[in-house]
Amino acid sequence: MEEQMIQDFVHRVSRDEELRKELASDPNAVITREGFSPRVARIIARLVPMLALDQSLEPSLYWWH
Amino acid sequence: MAKDAEPPVNPFAAHQRVLRERLHHLLATIHSALYADVVRALEGEGKLLSPSPTGPNPPDSQKPTLPAGAWPLLTLLVAQSISPDIDPLSASSVALAVECYVCGIDLLDDVIDEDQTTTLQALGTARTLNVSTALLTVAQQALLSLSQQGVVPALILRLLETLQDSALVVAAGQHRDVLAEQRSALEFTREECIEIATAKAGSIMRLACRLGALCAGADDALCERFSEFGELLGIAHQLDNDSHDLYYLLQGNTSSLAPMETGTHIVHVKSDLARGKKTLPVVLAAQIYNTTFQKSSLQTDQEKEEYLRSLREGIIATWGICLLYRERARDRLQEIEAQKPVVSLLRLLLGFE
Repeated sequence: MEEQMIQDFVHRVSRDEELRKELASDPNAVITREGFSPRVARIIARLVPMLALDQSLEPSLYWWH
Repeated sequence: MAKDAEPPVNPFAAHQRVLRERLHHLLATIHSALYADVVRALEGEGKLLSPSPTGPNPPDSQKPTLPAGAWPLLTLLVAQSISPDIDPLSASSVALAVECYVCGIDLLDDVIDEDQTTTLQALGTARTLNVSTALLTVAQQALLSLSQQGVVPALILRLLETLQDSALVVAAGQHRDVLAEQRSALEFTREECIEIATAKAGSIMRLACRLGALCAGADDALCERFSEFGELLGIAHQLDNDSHDLYYLLQGNTSSLAPMETGTHIVHVKSDLARGKKTLPVVLAAQIYNTTFQKSSLQTDQEKEEYLRSLREGIIATWGICLLYRERARDRLQEIEAQKPVVSLLRLLLGFE
């Protein structure tokens, strides 16, 4: 289930320093290795700045974007 | 005035003007004592009569704003996507049923949640409840007015039935949300949080799309596709709100947060969370936090650090799930557009340009 995949990956990255560094340096390699569906891969790629680079959450979407 | 200082063009201005004129017509029979308060509610943030209608947000905008009357615009633009020649008066009446319905529901939500919105502060609880009743009634009157525009009774009945069905689903969702305040976050699952989001925001946006499709004469299959599209967007909208509310809260002073129970431990959050609202990021964070405490014994500083980390993780996971629902909505829109493209203003309104 896609929701669970996202939740599990966020949890693993949050708890695994090595994975976080790898995701920061080469996100495409990590995402490819995980074998996500194209849809989940797009979402994970968008989460990388928050997950691995400690950046702010993107602004609220409301209905935009 | 320098060119870069000019206000942005509002692409929805013509539609908003038509909707406002029709709305004033629908409200004309209301007694003046009530009329002023109803108009005040409809002037609230994002509502059709709000004073500063806006278009798409400037790129540097921190908090995007919707155009005034985004809900009726959604219904109207869905109808025009299906039937470009639809009678504007009929389509506007249906769209305004949505505006009045959403405004009435929002007022009830504000009272239930004790949100100190400008409308609730100005009117107080008693008048707000009465205005909500009036708006929910006007929503039905807007649909009944279709009989004066030559719409067949069977369609009017179907539109009313759809509105009533939605109202019951929303009321049940709101009730579950209120009852959830008494339960521990650990009793909740992700699925239950999404069920509540589906019943609340999901069913309202489903209604806005479905009424637009119905009044435009869409067949059952197309009505269902637009309904599902609206529901997915509504869920995304709710999860977006929930993750950002908690995120912005965490950007502030965490020492001022109020207590929230997670199993045998007390952590701190405030506002909606202090009421015990079981939003998805809160539920996910509580589960993560509780699991960590079961694994290890933490010192006070570690406890706080772990608590903040759990909240951050809950926020990011919720944001990811929000994006997932938005992607699903985009896929559903592509299915719809494989048959016939929607009007560009609808894509603009929803940010799918």
